[in-house]
Amino acid sequence: MGATTDPTQRMQERGLLHAQERGLLHALEEIVGPQGLRTGAYGRAMYRRDASFLNAEPLAVAAPRTVEEAARVLRACRDHGVPFTPRAAGTGLAGGATPVGEDRRPLVISMARMDRIVEVDAAGRRAYVEPGAVNLRLGQAAARHGLRFAPDPASQIAATLGGNIATNAGGIHVLTYGVMSQHVLSVDVLDTDGVRHTLDGTLAEQGGLDVRGLTVGNEGTFGLVVGAWLRLLPVPPHTATLLAGFPSLTAAAEAVSAIVTGSRLPDAIELMDARAIHLVEDYAQAGYPSDAAAVLLVEHEGLTHGVEAGVAEAERLVRAHGASTVTRAADAAQRARIWKGRKAVAGAIAKVAPDYYLQDVVVPRSRLAEMLAEVVAIGEREDLTILNVLHAGDGNLHPFVAFDRREEGVLERVHRAGAAMVTTALSLGGSLTGEHGVGVEKRDFLCEVFGEDGLEVQRRVRRAMDPTGLANPHKVLPTPAGCAESAPSMVPTGAWV
Amino acid sequence: MAGAVLRAETAEEVAEAIGQARRQARGLEARGGATLLPRLGGAARPEPSEDADVLTLDGLSGVVDHPAADLTVTVRAGTPVAELASALAEAGQECPIEPLAGADGAPLGSTVGGRVSAALAGPRQLGAGRVRDWVLRVRYVTGEGRVAHAGGATVKDVTGYDLCRLLTGSWGTLAVLTEVTLKLRPRPPARAWYRTTRPPSAWWATLHDPAAIVTDAVGTSVLLEGHPDDVAEQADAAGLEESTPPTPPTGARAVVAPSRTDELVAAISELDCAWAAEPALGLVHLAGDATALEQARAQAERLDGRLLRLDGDAQAPVFGHDPGPDPYAGPLREALDPDAVLAPWRWSR
Repeated sequence: MGATTDPTQRMQERGLLHAQERGLLHALEEIVGPQGLRTGAYGRAMYRRDASFLNAEPLAVAAPRTVEEAARVLRACRDHGVPFTPRAAGTGLAGGATPVGEDRRPLVISMARMDRIVEVDAAGRRAYVEPGAVNLRLGQAAARHGLRFAPDPASQIAATLGGNIATNAGGIHVLTYGVMSQHVLSVDVLDTDGVRHTLDGTLAEQGGLDVRGLTVGNEGTFGLVVGAWLRLLPVPPHTATLLAGFPSLTAAAEAVSAIVTGSRLPDAIELMDARAIHLVEDYAQAGYPSDAAAVLLVEHEGLTHGVEAGVAEAERLVRAHGASTVTRAADAAQRARIWKGRKAVAGAIAKVAPDYYLQDVVVPRSRLAEMLAEVVAIGEREDLTILNVLHAGDGNLHPFVAFDRREEGVLERVHRAGAAMVTTALSLGGSLTGEHGVGVEKRDFLCEVFGEDGLEVQRRVRRAMDPTGLANPHKVLPTPAGCAESAPSMVPTGAWV
Repeated sequence: MAGAVLRAETAEEVAEAIGQARRQARGLEARGGATLLPRLGGAARPEPSEDADVLTLDGLSGVVDHPAADLTVTVRAGTPVAELASALAEAGQECPIEPLAGADGAPLGSTVGGRVSAALAGPRQLGAGRVRDWVLRVRYVTGEGRVAHAGGATVKDVTGYDLCRLLTGSWGTLAVLTEVTLKLRPRPPARAWYRTTRPPSAWWATLHDPAAIVTDAVGTSVLLEGHPDDVAEQADAAGLEESTPPTPPTGARAVVAPSRTDELVAAISELDCAWAAEPALGLVHLAGDATALEQARAQAERLDGRLLRLDGDAQAPVFGHDPGPDPYAGPLREALDPDAVLAPWRWSR
């Protein structure tokens, strides 16, 4: 990125960049039309951040309607040397869609107008979607054919499939159905020259390098995803959902380990603590036990005998681990309410405090109880309110830290708590992000995780996929300076919280 | 200069061997149990040759960690698949990525590293997903000698780029795998192969999530797994008879998009070939003489597919006759193996 330390030369470069920026805006208006371009302070303001609390000012926002327009937008960026940040719904939690530029403000490319579910091929059990299509809508479209789309992040009511591809998202049913990558058959990506490539994973073997797999989870740093064939699955004939209340968080966590090592793996195991239960029960009326310290939601799907055997085993195990209440969803409506409550935590948290920080760390499943105890201790140490919601079967924790940013010094405490959770997860043999991505928030932790050689391989892979460095700069990989600093920084130059 | 068989028992020794090959500008074929590469014949270098050494990893072997409660296992790349399977069976667990045993009974890749590197589809991929979906973490040494890892020992990890999937099925190019962490699942309580001569259209829709389906010129074999009562009821509803596992021919494997399997089978049944197909995976197992297999290759390629000959006489590289349609393969190889040390013969030169 050729940063120079000579101030005169830097100012000249700034001048040149401004001229380039003006030229780009002219070109963009021609490509996406006045409706598709936002350049004013007000129009840009809502694109400064995603669902994380990191802000940065974009140069402008362009929303192409077609692949051809998107390709022309990318070529214009290239020709004017302006970086870009792809964005869809902006539900990301790690700052991946925050337009961090440091010395050059990026153009935000909004996929909001490329939001069609283009085709549902029921016989082929697949669907072609544009990146701006909302996750839940694909589920609804598939349901009309007796099919479903398995990845179901709690944010699926707003989160888009393009964003799910960008982060290799997970969701509640990852446990047996696997993460997003497992459901992406092929992905159409525009490189930074605007050339379209279909990265195909449909051959069962001998298909060459799995560049499709490499691209899922790239967080917008390879180019722009403009479409994908996604896998649909038949709706299982039988489903049973169990709701178990526990007198302690530890007991619930230990029950998870027992269930996971049982003879039949459930399709979902979620854990919520007392604070989360109280928060959503009014809204969902799911019948969560109000006096429990934690609840487990256990779901089995498939053929009747297997499901019934699985549920019986789960019920036996939760009781053996001290569950005080065990309820089985009587019908589809009650099941829907149980899941509605689970998925409503982020939306309802405003009742507790105006801001929240959502962490996403993973530990080996057998370390879950230990990790949860640490999260509670971290909350006490930093005097923060933490709600625990977990994809427990995956060992994936999502502590919500609820706070009010107007409180002096609270952001530092939240940051410290977030960093402490990451370090604790790593020390338990876990990972620093399970499904939300690295974005900006966690990039400096990669120094420690990968070491110099591992990081160099990651950097080379990124350069191979985007030699220009224009695609979503400053994301995923740490700067060399970031690795030199003793404590990972979560707020890069040019950004603010 | 005559080639040598180099032996590595640690990642550092792998890096040393790679470094030596780079200095001497020689190619290097990483080899595990030597069950698959010899069957590629001239398309691989299973034995040392004038321009290439062989790096054998059979000493880089053993289960590193099997925390059964985490449903994961970590093994060194040269660990025999059979050794892994028996360790998992003791814990009532499995990793369903085995290829179908062929008529000749010879395994296609007898080490974990070989199996992940080649990622040949096994029949249970119908129900269980691809090899790449079971690989959680890899430790590897790049063609530049960098010792690194990607992924994590948890079931989800999106830290950095997904090199687990990139290296699964990369056939020893880009990097040499030294250690693999796999996702596991409980062994299904019941498992049985069934057989029917009725056309799949008559019964397929009555089955929920069959584990594997293999058709041939006479009939269809179906693998059902799960609760014993479900297995029995499903077999009954579909009119399937219990049978022995199928033993498909092993001269070659052709693959097309699953939706094109019928077209490929139709074309192949015109040739002088024995065949068996896994229709939902787009895979066709073949046997025949060289002429017939090359004709089958032409048919597979006509349908945008590929064919891998396993009769010891394959002259075509695994990744095809040209660098392929993938414009990223070149830059990625340049990124990880800039001197083209690792199995450069996977691509034609």
